[in-house]
Formats: sequence, C-alpha cells, structure tokens
Amino acid sequence: MLKDKLKTALASLKLAQVSDGDYARTGYHLEVAAGPEQMPAVAQAMLDQGCFLESLTAVDWRESFTLVYHFASFAELCRTVVHASLTKETKGAEAPTISRVYPGADWYEREVYDLFGIKFAGHPNLKRLLLPEDADFHPLLKDFGAEPGND
Amino acid sequence: MIELGIEEKSYTLNMGPQHPSTHGVLRVLLEMDGEYITKAEPVIGYGHRGHEHMAENRSYQQFLPNMGRVDYLHALAYNQGYCMAVEKLVGLTVPERAEFIRVILSEFNRISSHLVWIGAYLLDLGAFTPILYAFDDREHILDLLDRITGSRLTYCFYRFGGTSGDLDEEFVSGARAFIQRLRSRFRDYESLVTKNVIFINRTRDVGVITREQAVKYGLTGPTLRGSGIPYDIRKSEPYSAYPACDFQIPIGEKGDVFDRYLVRILEMEQSLRIIEQALNQLPDGPIMADKVPKRLKPAAGEVYQAVESARGEFGCYIVSQGDIKPYRIKLRVPSFGNLSILPEVAVDNLVADLVAILGSVDVVIPEIDR
Repeated sequence: MLKDKLKTALASLKLAQVSDGDYARTGYHLEVAAGPEQMPAVAQAMLDQGCFLESLTAVDWRESFTLVYHFASFAELCRTVVHASLTKETKGAEAPTISRVYPGADWYEREVYDLFGIKFAGHPNLKRLLLPEDADFHPLLKDFGAEPGND
Repeated sequence: MIELGIEEKSYTLNMGPQHPSTHGVLRVLLEMDGEYITKAEPVIGYGHRGHEHMAENRSYQQFLPNMGRVDYLHALAYNQGYCMAVEKLVGLTVPERAEFIRVILSEFNRISSHLVWIGAYLLDLGAFTPILYAFDDREHILDLLDRITGSRLTYCFYRFGGTSGDLDEEFVSGARAFIQRLRSRFRDYESLVTKNVIFINRTRDVGVITREQAVKYGLTGPTLRGSGIPYDIRKSEPYSAYPACDFQIPIGEKGDVFDRYLVRILEMEQSLRIIEQALNQLPDGPIMADKVPKRLKPAAGEVYQAVESARGEFGCYIVSQGDIKPYRIKLRVPSFGNLSILPEVAVDNLVADLVAILGSVDVVIPEIDR
C-alpha cells in the first residue's frame, strides 16, 4: 500500500509527526508535520513515490503561519497533508522552495508570496502572480482590511 | 518581464490580455525567434476578485453563491465540492435522492461545458461551423437546467444537506429526449471534426505532454487523461452517487492536442451513460437532510474535499475555528496547475500552434485568478 511506503520513506527524515489521518472526517489518509527547512526533502520523498502536488497554501494564525501542502497519487487513493509551521519574523517569514522538485510548485509559491508575503528561498522567479506588480499589500493576512474602507 | 533581446534576432510578442483565443483575460509574453517560440510566460490575475478573502468575511451560506462564479462553465461541480466540504465539516448526511439529483445535474453541466469548449476551440483553429452545432446542443441543456435551477450559467442550486429543488416529470422526459438527440449528434461531430484531415493535421503530435511532466506539474482532468493516466476523482475517490453508475474513463495514448480533444468527446458519451443510469435508479425520498441548522458553526478543524470538474480536480480546503465564518478557504482549481505547464510545452512551437495548445488545455481564466 502506498500509505505504508510513504510512512517508511518519511521515517528516515525525522519529522515531527507522521500519523494516520481520519479520512472520513478530514479527507486525509496521512497527516505529517514538518519544519519548513525539511520540505524539499519531504517533496523529493513524495515525488519518488509517484505523488503529485495537489495544492500548496498557507494559513495566517496572526502569531505564525502554517504552510499546507497536499499531495495525492494518480495510482492509488492516498492523500497526504503536510503542515509546516513558520514563525513571523521582522524581516519576513521565509521557507525553502520545493519548485526544484515539483516545477508545478512555482506558481503555488508565487501565489502564497503574493497573498501572504511569505518568501521562498531559492525560488527562480518570486514575484507577484495574481495582484499587480506594484501592489504593496498582502490581502490574505488577517490584519489586512482591519481599517475602515480598506475592505 | 522577459529580458529583451537575449539574441539579436529575437523579439518579444505580447499575446493578450485581449486576444480571442485566451478565453478570458490572459496575457502570454512570448520571446520569438522568427515564427518559433523560444520562451513563453503566462501573466495572470486580470480577473482576480479575491474569492478566498471574501470567504473569510461571510458565513458559510453567504459564500455559496460565489461558487458559481469561480468556474462559470461548470458551476455545479463547484457547488457540489463546496457543499460536500462543509457537509463533511459539520457531519451532515445527504439523502440518497439528492445525491442522484446532484449527479444528474452536474453531468449535464459537464456536457454543456465540454460543448462550449469544442465550439470555441474549433473556432480558435479556424473552423467556424462547429460552434453553431455545439451551442445548439448546449441550448437544450441550458433550458433543462434553467427549468430546475432557475439560472442558465452561474448556478447556485445545491444546499448544505441536499438540493434546493426537486426534479419533475417534464425534466426527466426532456433529459431522456436530449440523451437520444446528443447520441445521434455525436455521429455528426465525428464526421465533421474527428475525422477531418485538416483538424487532424493541425493537432496530431502537437503539444505533447508526457506522464512525467503530468506528475511534476500536478495536471488533472482531460488534460491529464489525454496523456494516458486514468485519474478521475469520480472513480479514484468515489463520491455522491457515482459508485452506483457504471462508466469508463477515456484516456489518450500520445498526450498530444488531438488526444485531449478525443478524451473530452468520449467523456461526454460517458456522462450521458451516467445520467441515463441515474435517471433509471432515481430513488424516492426527501431532498434535504433533517434539521440542518440555520447558523452553521462547525467545530474547529480542517477538511479537504475533491470533486471532478470539467477541467480536472477542484479541491476545497476549509479551516474552521469554531466560528460562523470560515477561518480560511483555499480553492484548489484545476486550470491553475494545467496552465502552469504552458511555458514548458510551448517552447519550439509556432505561434499558431500555441493557440492550439492553449485551447486544448481548456482553461477558464477567472477560475485561475479567483
């Protein structure tokens, strides 16, 4: 089974959490927690098992971010979610890119940068994707639109 | 911006944002060597409305009408994906009859989406007549859906826990008549287009996407299946009433533009089969779950729900903090991944072939921009 293979492959990476998901309730077969710096290695492990990157996004928790990666497989039903917690620092949050492993992540990372302001180190072309190039805000941050008239 | 003048003989060509073949507002910056493309960069975001931001500022019910406006060609699949995600989050069970109604209407909507694609795509390639045939057929579907849902394009018909209306006798007989009609029309499509030598020469071996590329870019839908990977959420992660229906997943062999065309044509035939079976099995009973709370307040947690839209996998990712508003909604849209492969596929092709390749991916730009 793909789930067992993934568990074996991820075990060697010493991640914070690799556990079975509650599929009926959440839609995940495997739930993983990793540090952002481990993501290129995690992505490589997922690609080696034939998984594709379903989606990549972020959640703003005000004090910190969580990067959320979804992986699935064309061959077998097995959805893996990887949560990577990212602290907010004054110089701006940064995580390594996985676009060298999955070229499809290029646009997803640009979108996260665009909407949240999270930078991806080593990204070949990190610039705004959906908003205009000269925009000076990140609309999915929770403190965006807090002032009247901004929303 | 693309750096200008990498070589002296090259030049930059700006295709779009207003270009008839981009179906919405897409701009492609092309670095050209004569008629050949050396670099292509899609520029998107012209239709960005901030749906995900809107979601955080309204209740679950209030966000429902937005779903018909993300991918307007297959709005009912987006209705379904979002409703199913919320139902999963709050633990609602949908009555059987409602599941069948959802399947029937979503499949009709899928056919109408494919018909728009066929008409518009062949128009891109210079064939004017097919769009008249395709829109004629599509009109019958729109009449049927209009009768039940009250709208022709941006449907908002499903509710958390069921559907907002029931099918009637006139719809059922109209649906059966339409199935017969479209089946006989497929013969016309085949002789007009599929066996047309001009069309074949235009599309065979153009814009080939390999399986390895498909995995690395996360392609889904007919674009993926054209490359020979039989991945369809309706089969691989069965939902709603699809397990009760017998249907096949058409796939291509080479992964070129022609294969992607053929997959969509064959898919419409399978959709007709699904509708026919669902109509035959349509059970009696309620169309809404009992006791759906007026104010939904799901417990804290997150959920991911995928459905198969006409363009591929639509995924709805919801994070709840136990509030009446969602804390975060991410819409995983198929065209986003499908278009991101364009720079790799477009290189070394003629501009005219870029139109063929871009159209074969069947992008809905407002869906990408959200």
